[in-house]
Amino acid sequence: MLWVDKYRPKTLDQITVHQDVAQNLKKLVTEQDCPHLLFYGPSGSGKKTLVMALIRQMFGASADKVKVENKTWKVDAGARTIDIELTTLSSTNHVELTPSDAGFQDRYIVQEIIKEMAKNRPIDSKGKRGHKVLVLNDVDKLSREAQHSLRRTMEKYSSYCRLILCCNSSSRVTEAIRSRCLNVRINGPTEEQIVRVLEFIGKKEGLQLPSGFASRIAEKSNRSLRRAILSFETCRVQQYPFVSTQAIPPMDWEEYITEIASDIMKEQSPKRLFQVRGKIYELLVNCIPPEIILKRLLYELLKKLDAELKHDVCHWAAYYEHRMRLGQKAIFHIEAFVAKFMSIYKTFLISTFG
Amino acid sequence: MCQTVRPGQSGSRHKSMEIIFTIPSPAVVEEESSFASHRKGDRSLLPKNGKMDMDIPLPDELELLESDFHLYEDYLEPELYESDEEEEKREKESSDSPIQQSNSPDFSSAALNSVTESSSVNGLKRLRSDDADVLMNSGSDDVEPSGGKRSRNDKPPVENEEDWLRYSPRSEKNSMMEEETSLTVKEKTVFRYVSEIDGDFIPITAPDSDERVYAKLSRFGDKEGSKKLDLKERHGGIMQENMNVLLERAEKEALTKTLEASYDTQVDAMPPREPVVHERLWVDKYAPSSFTELLSDEQTNREVLLWLKQWDSCVFGSEIRSTSDEVLSSLRRHSSIAQHHKLSSVSFTRKNKFPGWRAGNFRDSTFSEHQKNTTDGIQDTWSKKSKLPSPPEHKILLLCGPPGLGKTTLAHVAAQHCGYHVVEVNASDDRSSSTIETKILDAIQMNSVLGDARPNCLVIDEIDGALSDGKGAVDVIVKMVSADKKAERENGPKDQPGKRSSKKGQRNVSLIRPVICICNDLYAPALRSLRMMAKVHVFVQPTVSRIVSRLKYICNQEGMRSSSAALSALAKYTECDIRSCLNTLQFLYKKRETLSAEEISSQVVGQKDMSRSVFDIWKEIFHTRKMKLQSRSDSKSRNMCDKIEHLYSLLSYRGDYELILDGIHENILQLNYHDPVMQKTVKCLEMLGVSDLMNQYIMQTHHMILNVYQPPSVITIHRLVAQVQRPNIEWPKSYQRCRGLILEKMENLRSWHCKVPPLISRHINSKTFVEDLVSPLLHLISPRTLKPRAMHLLLEKEKADLTQLVSVMVSYAISYKQIKSDPHSNSSRHEATLDGSVLALDPPIDGFVCFKGYESCHNVLTLAMKQLLVHEVENKKILLGSNGKLEPLSDAKMVNHEGSWDKPLKGGLMKTDSVALSAKNNIEDRGPYSAQHHPSNSTSASDGNSGPGVNLKSSAVRKTPSLGSSSFFDRFRKPGGKGSPNTDSIEKKEITLERDLRPLLFKFNEGFTNAIKRPVRVRDFLL
Repeated sequence: MLWVDKYRPKTLDQITVHQDVAQNLKKLVTEQDCPHLLFYGPSGSGKKTLVMALIRQMFGASADKVKVENKTWKVDAGARTIDIELTTLSSTNHVELTPSDAGFQDRYIVQEIIKEMAKNRPIDSKGKRGHKVLVLNDVDKLSREAQHSLRRTMEKYSSYCRLILCCNSSSRVTEAIRSRCLNVRINGPTEEQIVRVLEFIGKKEGLQLPSGFASRIAEKSNRSLRRAILSFETCRVQQYPFVSTQAIPPMDWEEYITEIASDIMKEQSPKRLFQVRGKIYELLVNCIPPEIILKRLLYELLKKLDAELKHDVCHWAAYYEHRMRLGQKAIFHIEAFVAKFMSIYKTFLISTFG
Repeated sequence: MCQTVRPGQSGSRHKSMEIIFTIPSPAVVEEESSFASHRKGDRSLLPKNGKMDMDIPLPDELELLESDFHLYEDYLEPELYESDEEEEKREKESSDSPIQQSNSPDFSSAALNSVTESSSVNGLKRLRSDDADVLMNSGSDDVEPSGGKRSRNDKPPVENEEDWLRYSPRSEKNSMMEEETSLTVKEKTVFRYVSEIDGDFIPITAPDSDERVYAKLSRFGDKEGSKKLDLKERHGGIMQENMNVLLERAEKEALTKTLEASYDTQVDAMPPREPVVHERLWVDKYAPSSFTELLSDEQTNREVLLWLKQWDSCVFGSEIRSTSDEVLSSLRRHSSIAQHHKLSSVSFTRKNKFPGWRAGNFRDSTFSEHQKNTTDGIQDTWSKKSKLPSPPEHKILLLCGPPGLGKTTLAHVAAQHCGYHVVEVNASDDRSSSTIETKILDAIQMNSVLGDARPNCLVIDEIDGALSDGKGAVDVIVKMVSADKKAERENGPKDQPGKRSSKKGQRNVSLIRPVICICNDLYAPALRSLRMMAKVHVFVQPTVSRIVSRLKYICNQEGMRSSSAALSALAKYTECDIRSCLNTLQFLYKKRETLSAEEISSQVVGQKDMSRSVFDIWKEIFHTRKMKLQSRSDSKSRNMCDKIEHLYSLLSYRGDYELILDGIHENILQLNYHDPVMQKTVKCLEMLGVSDLMNQYIMQTHHMILNVYQPPSVITIHRLVAQVQRPNIEWPKSYQRCRGLILEKMENLRSWHCKVPPLISRHINSKTFVEDLVSPLLHLISPRTLKPRAMHLLLEKEKADLTQLVSVMVSYAISYKQIKSDPHSNSSRHEATLDGSVLALDPPIDGFVCFKGYESCHNVLTLAMKQLLVHEVENKKILLGSNGKLEPLSDAKMVNHEGSWDKPLKGGLMKTDSVALSAKNNIEDRGPYSAQHHPSNSTSASDGNSGPGVNLKSSAVRKTPSLGSSSFFDRFRKPGGKGSPNTDSIEKKEITLERDLRPLLFKFNEGFTNAIKRPVRVRDFLL
C-alpha cells in the first residue's frame, strides 16, 4: 500500500488540506439534508477524498464496504438494443460510476441506468426510508446530450437521491446542471499545505526530513498532492537517509516533452516537425491526454522563450487547444501549434539575427 | 436450329444424305456447316485424315440408310484408305463454291458412300446423336412441307422458335467471325477420333449405342449478299418467307441485346438491304481480335502474355519457352497465326451455342496440334506432363486500371492467343461465394473430367465491383492459392498439386489454370488479400497518339470525317478511354455530325464520372503539372480554374474525406516545398484542423450536406504545396496505428483498474494514472536497494522494505509474469534476458513510460529479485485470500498484520510442542500451508527461534487465535492433539534430528487449492 492511500484521510475531521471546506460540508450534512453537490478542481487536489469522507460522514462505516460490479446493461435505444458495459462501485447507500466511460453512448447511461438507480429507494435498517447518493466521476467529459438528460433526473428524484458530481473543470458542465448543484471548488493545495502533509507523513513513518527537502518536492509537484506524496515515497525508496540535494525523480512523460521542446527550439523546419510528430504520437499512444501534452509543451517552450514572444505563443496555444477540443484528431492540432510556434520563433530569429 | 433440306439433291442419288445446318441468324445463314458421321465399319474408301466433304442425308433417306445398315454389319473392319485420285477429286470439288458443292452429284456420291456404308463395330445403329436429333427436329419444322417424314419431326414450332431465339445473340459474334473466315475452310468430314479433326466438330451418337463419331463442322464463308439472294431463289415460297422472318427476328434480337433502346426504331425503319454489320456498336465491331491490334501498353501486353505462357508447362505440359524474347517473337509471328487463332475463337463461340452438347468432346484445332501424336495416349501424356515444372509463382494475374483501357480485351485476346478457352465471370453473374466456387472449380477441373478439352482460363471481370459478392470470389481464390502454397510447402517443390493428384483419388482444390482478375480500383478493400498474392499489372493510359491513330482508322473505315486535332481532343477529354471515344464517335456519326474540337467540351460528350483511387487523389493534390509558359494571364487563370474544378470533382466523387485528409497529413511534411518560415506548413495544418472540426461537426450533427465544404480546404492545401516533383506517397498508417494502440492500452488499463481494490482504484482514473502515478509507481516497485536474498538473511530494515514493496504490489495488483523474451522491446530495458524468457510486469505498466528514443531512468530489478517478488506476492495474495475476502486494507490493520506475524506463530508453536506432529496434522491443508510456509519460515528463523523447518501459520491462528475451534484449522488441531499421545516420542526426536540434518523444503505449487485434501505423513516427505 502506497503512502498516498495509506495516509488518505478517512473522515472529514481528519482532512487537513481543505479543512474549511470539510467543516462546512460536515455542517451541511449533519444539520440537514444536503443538496446535489458539484466538486470541481484540478487533479490531485483531493476532491475524491473529500467526497468519500463526506459519504462516510453521511452513512457511517458501512460506506466503506464497497463491492465492484462490472455489469453489462442492455439499453433499449429506439430500434435496437445497445449493450453498455459499466463498472460501478456500490455500497448499500451509494453508487459510484463514471458515465463517460461509455464514450458517445453516455447518454444512455444517464437516461437509463442512472435513472434506474435513482429510482430505487433504499430502505435503511430501521425501516426508515433512507436516501442514496450517486457519485458521478468526470462529469465534464459527459457529452452535452447526456448532461441534458441528467438535468431532469436530478430534479425528479431529488427527494431521496443525491448526486455528487466530480470534475476537473466546471466550465464544461452545463449551466443547468451547475445551477442545480452546490458548487464546491477544491483548489490545488498550496505548497505550504503540501509541505505540511509531507512532514506529517514523514513523522508517521519515522523519517528524518532535511530542511527544504519537502518544499522541493512540493515545488515540483505542480500543486498536486498525489504527485507530491508519490514523489516523496519514491525518494524514500531510492535513497533513504535523505539528502537535501537529492534528485527528485521526474515524470517520464514530462521528461519526454522537455526533449520535444528542445528539439523544437533547435530547428524549425517541416522535417523537424515530422520528427516531433513521431514523438507526439508516442505520447498519445501511451494514453497521455492531448490537452496535457499541449499544456506541458507550452510550459516547456515558454521556459526557453524570449519574453516578447510569450504572449503570442500562449495565445496560439489557447487557440489550438480550443480547436483540439472541438475536433477529433488531436494530433492535427498539436502539430499545428508546433508549426505555428516554429513559424513564430523562426521569424523572430530571422528578424533579430538577420 | 433450322434445318434446310434440299430436295433436289437426294432423289436421284442412291443413299445420299445431306443435312445442312443453318443457324437462323442473319449472319449465320451463310455459315453453313455440314457434317456427317463416320462409321468404323465403313466399307468405302474414306480418307483417314478426313479431307472428305460430305452432307448428311435427308430424313427419309436416313430411314433408308438405317435399313441398309444391316446389310453392312458384316463388314467389321473398315477399309479406311481412299485412293489418291478420289481425294484429289474431292479437293477439287471443295474448292468450288459451297452451294455448287452441295448440289454436285459427284460430291454427294462420294459422301453418301461414306455415310451409308458405315456401320458400327458392334453392329449397332447410331446414325444421329440424340443431341443432333433435337437439333434436327427443331430445325426440320421449317422444312416439313419439303417432305420430311420422320416420326420425330413432331416438335411444335413454338419450341423451335424459342430454340433459335435463345441462340440468336451469339450469332452476332459469329457474323463477326464470318468475315474473317470466309472462303478458308471447306472440308466436311466425319471422324472416328476427335484428334483427327482440325477445327470444329459435333459429336454424334446413335440413340441406342455408346459408339460415337465426330462430324467436322465447317463453314462456307461466302459473299454475304449473294448468299442471301441465293437462298431466296433456291427455296420455295414458304421457305423464303420463313427465312426472311427469321432473319429479321434475329436481327432484332441481336440488336436489342446489344444496342441502346433508342436503336429500336432504327431497326424497324432499317431498309432490309442495309448490311447488318453496320448497326453494331463500333466498340464491338472494332474490338481488337488479335494481339497486334491491342491498344494497351506494349509492355503490359507482353507481360500478360509472358505470364500466361508460364502456365504452359503446367497446363499443356510443354516446356517453358516463353522468355521475353520468345513473347516478342511470338508477337512478331502473330500476324501469321492470327487466322488460325480466329478459327479457334469461332469454335469457342460455337461451343457455347450448343449447350446440349456440352457432354461431348470438343477439340479445338490449337489444342489438337498439341496432341496430334498422342491420339490414344492422352491420359499418358497428361501423367507424363505432371513431372514438369510448376505454374508460375503468382497464380493470379490482377489487371487494374481505369475503365475503357482494354483490360478485358487484353485478357481475352491474350488467353485465346495462348490457346485457352476463356471462361468469364463478371458482375452480371451471380457471384456469391458458393456459386463462384463451383464455377471456378468447374473451370479448373474441366480437363480432369474431359481429359482433352481446351484448357480453361478464368477471367474474373470487375472483381472489385460489388463489395459483398465480389468478395466471395476473392475469398475463394485466395483460399485456393493459399491452399496451394501450403500443399507445395508440404509436398516439396517436386510434387505438383492439382489435377494429377485428383486422378489418384484425392481431389485437391488447387489452382491449376490461369486466373485473370480485372478490377478498376486496385486499392478496393475487398481486394486487399488478393493484392498480396497476385501479380499486379496496372494499366496506364495509352498514348493519345495511339488512340488517335486507331480512331482515325475507324473513322476512315466508317467514312466519317474527322480531324486529328478533334480526335486527340476527344481522347484527352475521355482520358484515353477508347470505349467512350468510340461510343461518342458513333453517336456523332449517327447524328450525321462531324467531330469538331469545340463540340467536345460542350454537352455533346458526357464527361466520365471519375472515381479514382485515393492514391491518385493524393498524387493529384501533391503533384502539379508543369504549367506551360503562357503569356496571357487570363489563360493561366482559366487553367487554374480548370484545375481547381477538376480537383473538386475528383474529391467530391471520391468522398471519404477523412481518409484523404489523413493521407495529406501523413505525407505533407515529406514534401519538398519551399517554406522558409514555415508559413505554408502552418497554413496547411490550419486547413487540416478546419477539416477536422468540420468532420467532427458533421459526424455529431449528421449534416452530411456540409461535406461540400470539405474539398475547398484540400484544394487550398494543393495550392500551397503542390510540386512538379513526383511525390512519394504513403498510406496513412500512423493515425490508425496510434488509435489502435491507445485502445489497446486503455483496455489494459481498464482491466487492471478493475483488479485493484476499490479503495484505491476509486481515486485513480486513467488520466491520473498516466499523469501522476505510473512513473513513481515504477520507481517504487523497483527499488535499487533491495538485494535478492532469502528473507531470513535480510536486515530488519530491508525486510520492512520488502514487505512494504510486496504490499504495494499486491494492493496495486501488480506482479511479474513469465513471458517470452522479445529482443526488440525488452533487451534494452531488461538485463535479465539471458535465458529465453523474462519476467515482465504483469499489467505491463512499464509500457506506459516507454517512449521511442527516450531512456527512462527506472531501475530494473534482477531476475532473482523478480522471482523473489513473484513468490512473495503470490504468498501474500493467498494469505489474503485465505482470510476469506479481500478485506479493505486500512493502514492500521495492515500494520497490525505485520506486527502480528510472529506473535501468534509463537503461540502456535508453543501449543504444539512437536513441530513434526502438527505439521503432519496440518499438512492436509496443503494450499495455505505451503503458501505460508516460506515467509513464516524466514521470520521464525530470524527470530532465533531454533528454526523449525516447518512452521505452522494458518491464517486463523495468526489473525484471531481466539476464534478457536470454529476456525478451519482447529478442526485439524483437535485430532492432532488427540493423536499426539499415540505417536512415539522417540520417533518424534528422530524426526526432529533428521529434520535438523536435512532442512525440509517444500516447494510451493501453484494451482493447489483447499479443495484437495489428503492425509499425508511427514514421514513420506522425510524418507
